[in-house]
Amino acid sequence: MSKSARLWRALWMVCVLASVGWIAGPAQAAVGGLNSNAAHNDSSPEWEKLRARFFPNRSIAADAASQVQLIVPLRAAYGASVPVKVVSKLPQRNELYVKKLYLFIDKNPSPLAAVLDLTADLGQADFETRLRVDEYSHVRVVSELSNGELHMDSRYVKVSGGCSAPPNREHPELIGKTILKLNGPVVYDRPNVADVTVLHPNDTGFELNNITVMFIPPHFIRSIKVRYGEHKLFDADLDFSVSENPTFRFNFVPRGDATLTAEIEDSREGRFTGMLPVHASGLPGQGDAPVDSRAP
Amino acid sequence: MRPGFRGRETRLWIRVRPDLLRHCGAAILFACWLMLAHGGARSAGLPVPYRAIVVQPTGLPTQAEFDLRPAIDQARREKKSLYIYLGADDCPYCRRYEAFLAQNAGELLPHFAGYLIVDLRSSLKISSKALIIRTNLGALPYAEFQRTIGDERARLLVYPSVWLLDTEVKPLMQMPAGTGTFQTVPEQLEILNLVQ
Repeated sequence: MSKSARLWRALWMVCVLASVGWIAGPAQAAVGGLNSNAAHNDSSPEWEKLRARFFPNRSIAADAASQVQLIVPLRAAYGASVPVKVVSKLPQRNELYVKKLYLFIDKNPSPLAAVLDLTADLGQADFETRLRVDEYSHVRVVSELSNGELHMDSRYVKVSGGCSAPPNREHPELIGKTILKLNGPVVYDRPNVADVTVLHPNDTGFELNNITVMFIPPHFIRSIKVRYGEHKLFDADLDFSVSENPTFRFNFVPRGDATLTAEIEDSREGRFTGMLPVHASGLPGQGDAPVDSRAP
Repeated sequence: MRPGFRGRETRLWIRVRPDLLRHCGAAILFACWLMLAHGGARSAGLPVPYRAIVVQPTGLPTQAEFDLRPAIDQARREKKSLYIYLGADDCPYCRRYEAFLAQNAGELLPHFAGYLIVDLRSSLKISSKALIIRTNLGALPYAEFQRTIGDERARLLVYPSVWLLDTEVKPLMQMPAGTGTFQTVPEQLEILNLVQ
């Protein structure tokens, strides 16, 4: 075939393809061909592997038999900050309590977001936090009781781009600042709600620096250990699937005046501490504003 | 030569009518250009069948103020909720969502019946500080407006954005940033039916 004939033939193909594209319009599949109609309690190939790795040959109670509930919106405002709430259906008592909570996001690059090691001093094993969800995926919680039983709940979440969303870097000098806050007046011998927040970018290693166009190295919180006086409340082993400025809302049962303490360690061996003295007087609900404790 | 390839005939035809072929090619290219240009113009803003109330910004170029009060009043009269779409004229993701709506109008339109659709025409040049939304709550910059109504999307202005509001400017549900998670018919229906 001559050169001109090949040229005209190529031009003709371009026109045909352009016309077909224009007529057909954009594809109707979900973004990236993601499964848009999965049920909340469905399994996934990723989950089957995780289950075999973390809970081999163990039965896991689910659905109505489960003692744990997961509350996550179907869609969140941002994939980088999906609100997640874990509700335990049984109170923390010495005879039977939630010993561990595992948070998974099936399709994240690092699917195990957090492992929380709990004690009965929490009073109630309810937690709230925020997670990064990179693409349409199941989020799961597995609750391990002190008697060895496993219970699970899961939610399908439709978000995307969570792991590549640029973090907030307005105040890098505040990295590590740890804030403990009580959400109401303290009532002794009953579960009280408190928050621990660490100001930290929790860099995943997948974000691009917009100026250098280089990947920002991972830098995230590895662990949060919370005590009330000498009593351990919980230890959280974390990964970068937790959103920036990691926050946990939790319960604890104060048995008298003591100090609420949070010890933080990040992936660059940064160590930070937050403390909050808890007294029966001068607390929210008695005329004062919510109490913060900030330690550099 | 590959089977079915009619190279000999093509060569012969070119020899016979090269001028005609060139003219045809030029005409086809021009037609393609027209189609693409028309497609771009067609999809700037919500598709016509949706009968959206188009709100153009005022105060340009320093700011872009969108006055939602007439739309809110109309929604109140018609006892409807508001489906507010914020698009930008130079935003490819906006074109994609608009094309999706155009392509599926027959299936989707009946489900929009309970909504008054409002089309805010913005531009990527408009930053969150310059984007002002005027409602019965006052004229508020984007982030402040979002915080006032309790929408979590205060931190980042994303094009396109959709709000589902009642006539008291309260969100019917928390919407995601962007429209990428509801660009299939079932997912758009989830949004319209407030599935959370």
